Amino acid sequence: MNDPGMNDLVAAILEGDAAKSVSLARQLRKGGTNPEDIVVHGVEVAMSALDAKCTIEQFNLLEIMLAGRAVTEVMKILYPTGIAMAGTKGTVVIATLEGDVHDLGKNILKMVLIGNGYHVVDCGKDCPLQKLMEVAEAERPIAIGVSGLITPIIPLVRQVKDQLALRRLDRVKIIAGGAALKQSTPDKLNVDFVAESAFDGLHYLEELQGRGNE
Amino acid sequence: MASIIWRNYKGEEMNSLERIAATIRFRETDRIPVIAQVFGHAATLAGVSVDDYVRNGETLARCQLNALKHYGYDAVFTVMDTSVETESIGSVLQYRRNQYPVIERYALSLDSDWNALAIPDPWRAGRMPEMLKAIGVLRREVGNEVLVVGCTLGPFTLTSQLLGLETTLYLAVDDPERLGRLMDYATEVIIRFGQAQLKAGAHLPVVFDPSASPAVIPPKFFREFELPRLKRVFQAFVEAGSIANWLHIAGPVSPILPYYSAAGVHIANFDYNVPAMEARNILPTMGLDGNIKSLMFVEGEPEEIEAEALKLLQVFRNRGGFILSSGCEIPPESRPENVAAMVNVARASGGKCQN
Repeated sequence: MNDPGMNDLVAAILEGDAAKSVSLARQLRKGGTNPEDIVVHGVEVAMSALDAKCTIEQFNLLEIMLAGRAVTEVMKILYPTGIAMAGTKGTVVIATLEGDVHDLGKNILKMVLIGNGYHVVDCGKDCPLQKLMEVAEAERPIAIGVSGLITPIIPLVRQVKDQLALRRLDRVKIIAGGAALKQSTPDKLNVDFVAESAFDGLHYLEELQGRGNE
Repeated sequence: MASIIWRNYKGEEMNSLERIAATIRFRETDRIPVIAQVFGHAATLAGVSVDDYVRNGETLARCQLNALKHYGYDAVFTVMDTSVETESIGSVLQYRRNQYPVIERYALSLDSDWNALAIPDPWRAGRMPEMLKAIGVLRREVGNEVLVVGCTLGPFTLTSQLLGLETTLYLAVDDPERLGRLMDYATEVIIRFGQAQLKAGAHLPVVFDPSASPAVIPPKFFREFELPRLKRVFQAFVEAGSIANWLHIAGPVSPILPYYSAAGVHIANFDYNVPAMEARNILPTMGLDGNIKSLMFVEGEPEEIEAEALKLLQVFRNRGGFILSSGCEIPPESRPENVAAMVNVARASGGKCQN
């Protein structure tokens, strides 16, 4: 799509300018562009550009947070009732497990996934395993993302897969991330993937769905 | 005078403090020094709950002495957790059984009046006096045989512990001048606390600054906001008698390591995100400590730890200035045989080490 307004929106999100992003999204809506097109041709394009910029060596958390804040604000005006956008790529349930209250990593993942068209259900921080399972049963997600900054939560992380199996949710993939968990391996954590960063987690999901080249 | 002589392992000619002091000056030592970053693990080892450990200076000191006796490494720590300063300023913590406390409510918000903030008195505020008590007990016990390490946060990390990290980061962009003023306040809190630790008997306070890692803030932000304030902190510590300045930032720190000299750092911590050779190349004349993965002490085997430690010794063989250590905290639930494996490698390094 070669709409100057859309290009401006992409640029504003990448600059992390929330107010300008919201203003541009409003103009696009007034001009008749529907919310889904703004997400696909604006928000997702911006997130994809940010993804390309953020390599392991050049990972800029602040830049991602600012873009994420802009995206969150844009989504609020596109979907004021909070109803999930149509054409979602799937639901992902995320949590920081009980005993860990550091949720910045989880929040970054949330922004990145929302900005890339996923429906995210956030169980918050310090989340008991039981609550995570109840939400998983209700939401039937394609994946669960657990983040952990501290090592004592690792025994809980290891239980997630078995708890899902008990509920016949074996197909739900488990992604682990965060400073403590990324020092480990999928085998040792009993998960499907250990993500180095939020975008690494996104790539895994995209590959999972065969959408890596879209 | 120390009540117990913590030295004279067979064949060792230097005590721990002498060994570390010589190492960071690149002088000859009898062996490679080893500092295990044992904090809550000292409580676990002694069968004490971590929440008791972080609230009682006497308990903390006894656990540290017990761990020192058990492992025979070169330093003891009075690190409690990363919430000591913020609690003394008004953050409300939640203490849970056998865990480090977590912040339930931050001391400040964007709506708070930051002009009225007072500097907490380390001898009276929150748990600060307990840390000072622990320092006093440890110094009395080990004297100048073993390094006694106090702890403060870095200015940006304390700021993020006062406001919350997300709020702080957004403020950095939305109103950098206001953030700078709060960081100046945090700097004063840190200086006062560190000075008190030195007065209580610490040989040095390690400065923990996890939020200043390039994993969180851009290196340019570190240079413009954190570096001048760290410089003030370290200058004040040296003036108050610190034997060396030790900066502890984990994560991919390579882009900020070149600024450490200007900050006045003498010992730079690095973790597994930075290859040892890279740290060596970036800081050829600075003391370095690192970098065995923390989680390996929980999940790994002694043989793996030993192999990692030997690799590190190989990298620094002809360079010196190296303290064998974990890259970050050795988690409370670590296997004691893994900590012992790291210490044993250093102890076996024996003979003269040309630094």
